[in-house]
Amino acid sequence: MSEPDKSLFDLLAQRGVSRRGFLKFCATTASMLGLPPSMSSAVAEALTQAARRPSVIWLSFQECTGCTESLTRAYSPTIESLIFDAISLDYHHTLQAASGDAAEEARAQAMKANYGSYLLLVDGSIPLGEGGAYSTIAGHTNLSMLKEVAEGAAAVVSIGTCAAFGGLPMANPNPTGAVSVKDIVQDKPVMNVPGCPPIPNVIVGVVAHFLTFGALPELDALGRPKVFYGDTIHDRCYRRPFYDRGLFAKTFDDEGARNGWCLYELGCKGPTTYNACATLKWNGGTSFPIQSGHGCLGCSEPKFWDGGGFYTALSTPIQPVTGAAVTAALAGAAVGAAVAFGNQSTKGKAKAAHTKVTIDDLEKA
Amino acid sequence: MSASFERGMAAFREVMDSPIASFFSSCVHCGLCAEACLFYTETGDPKYTPIHKLDPLKRVWQQEYTLLGRLGALVGLSKPVTEKELEQWSELVYDSCTLCGRCSMVCPVGNDIAYMVRKMREGMSAAGVAPEGMIGATQRAVTLGSPMGVKLPALQAQIRAQEAETGLSIPMDVQGADYMVLLSSMEVMNFPEYIGALGKIFRQAGVSWTLSSKAFEATNSGIQIGASDIAAELVQRIVDAAEGLGVKTVISPECGHAFTAIRWEGPNLIGRPYRFEVKHILEVLEELRQAGRLRTQGCDERPLTFHDPCQIARRGGVIEQPRNLLKSVASDFREMEEHGAMNWCCGGGGGVSANDRAEELRLVAFKRKKGQVEALGVDTLVTACANCRIILEEGLEHYNMDVEVVGLTELVAEHLIEDDK
Repeated sequence: MSEPDKSLFDLLAQRGVSRRGFLKFCATTASMLGLPPSMSSAVAEALTQAARRPSVIWLSFQECTGCTESLTRAYSPTIESLIFDAISLDYHHTLQAASGDAAEEARAQAMKANYGSYLLLVDGSIPLGEGGAYSTIAGHTNLSMLKEVAEGAAAVVSIGTCAAFGGLPMANPNPTGAVSVKDIVQDKPVMNVPGCPPIPNVIVGVVAHFLTFGALPELDALGRPKVFYGDTIHDRCYRRPFYDRGLFAKTFDDEGARNGWCLYELGCKGPTTYNACATLKWNGGTSFPIQSGHGCLGCSEPKFWDGGGFYTALSTPIQPVTGAAVTAALAGAAVGAAVAFGNQSTKGKAKAAHTKVTIDDLEKA
Repeated sequence: MSASFERGMAAFREVMDSPIASFFSSCVHCGLCAEACLFYTETGDPKYTPIHKLDPLKRVWQQEYTLLGRLGALVGLSKPVTEKELEQWSELVYDSCTLCGRCSMVCPVGNDIAYMVRKMREGMSAAGVAPEGMIGATQRAVTLGSPMGVKLPALQAQIRAQEAETGLSIPMDVQGADYMVLLSSMEVMNFPEYIGALGKIFRQAGVSWTLSSKAFEATNSGIQIGASDIAAELVQRIVDAAEGLGVKTVISPECGHAFTAIRWEGPNLIGRPYRFEVKHILEVLEELRQAGRLRTQGCDERPLTFHDPCQIARRGGVIEQPRNLLKSVASDFREMEEHGAMNWCCGGGGGVSANDRAEELRLVAFKRKKGQVEALGVDTLVTACANCRIILEEGLEHYNMDVEVVGLTELVAEHLIEDDK
């Protein structure tokens, strides 16, 4: 898809992106990644040097193409999407012009030419049920294709919650036996960029980091880049002061909602969700769900689909409290009541035995 | 086991209430209270860690009020509290605690440690292990009407002297007066000028006030030693006198724990609300000042600072009033670094001043206040508690410091505009 001889900058210039605009993008990306300002030139250099640009293969499995949409469907063509057009994206179901054998051939060629150094991006989960028959491409199961392509990759990036944590296909009862990329690929560095979909700047940011430094950025316990997933939505939310003051919207059209109060009681999952929505926002920095009046769904967290109703507050139990939990609670209450009763009688006896303390009682008898 | 010990243990069981249970169960053993206690900071001895002072009470709670503790006691895993221990703990509960409540302020889980020490003293006093000095003071308070043994004739003599000095008459037993003034025997004996100062201030403000011959003593040794029965009897005397005279407001004097006794603990002790209000003298003075009825002139130009009495500031919430009053009559008021709700105690509150055996430790603890005063470089220390005042004077004397201690009410009275009303 790309023209390997031309530099990225030339390609961008062809499409009307000025040098100034490109450097601005590099500086923004550097700061987004938490790099010092001096690093923006390193980012620019890395992105423009055709020779060092590794091949990128994008595999799509059980997914809705929302992640690709997030990246490409901006109102106007962004530098993010142009860069993606321009890097040597050798294989992408949705974006590639080739089809059939030609497409698979392109994948085989790219793998061969860049074996051991290409970057593998995956969106969608991998079905294991029925021998993987739930999703196949050109006669290959998703499982076999992932294993084959991951073999020669320098690193793997799971784009979106489906690839990162199984996502919607894995939601209870998980009919296809879906698993995440990390469940399959265990001998390669795998970075998760979850979100349903992830923020486009985040996708490009981590790719730019890999291109610049040849390595993945620092990851958290769930394999997510800390620069974007280091804080909860809640901690960075502009409605946080209302939470701290105990001011909550109780319905979507009450006084509190109109005043822009905290949406916690309406089920906002911001307090348990790590993502950058509250700072980077969406649609070119226009807004994000909470700003438009709806609570966070927690889409960048594992099993968000099974985490209880979107409109029940985080503090309410996910499932009805039944069985052993009820028995334990009742037993606890009974023990508590018995202890309280015993304590009342201990105290009562002491009280009943109380005789007035006079000044004579102060001396030891 | 003596009868007193049995009685003390029964009192421990009796004072156990939901605050104490929740405090003990929420203690995280962080030790932050140690750094808040001047007996620990000035000695460095870990036995003065405030929560440790409550150990016997805590063990009674554990062994008799918790499930695991009871099971442990059944199989002989716990160490019961002994009479000897209570004797050992007497020093920790009485000598090294002024009930100043600074530890309660820093506790990260919000435990009111001073509240628990106050409750623990109920058991300690019933067990007969309270210090001799405090027992004597309490006995005098009940039999003579004042812990220092000040009787009505002594007060009358002081009143006559003040009347002669100020040329005013000091009202006694006036039926239906607006305010009934209480005094502490410290003031009567050591600082009678407080009475004259009040006379001058109230004359200028046009306030109707009176003393009571039946109840002039505000201090309450029962609160300090931790004997609620005795404390209630002492409060009842004041309530009877105030309601007999039909006054609207009773004024607690420049005395710390007297305010705690009459303002906060009193109604609970006698088991009913008062038919009058209780205010601290500083609250009354500030009200008069704001209403324009307290007119002063001139300013004391000496560099001076204010020592907050713990029971009035930290435990009583009277913090802004003395500062407003002081700023109206002093031009060089300097604030100690830690003041108001986080002030450091003088070291003699909560009955420590009546406890002779604690004197040596008290003077060591005074180094904290000494350091605070030295850091400011002032030569005048203003306060609003006669007990603090005595303790400050003794401490300053002991460390050869040339600092004068003044009562705030007298300082205000000195600057009143003289007129011939």
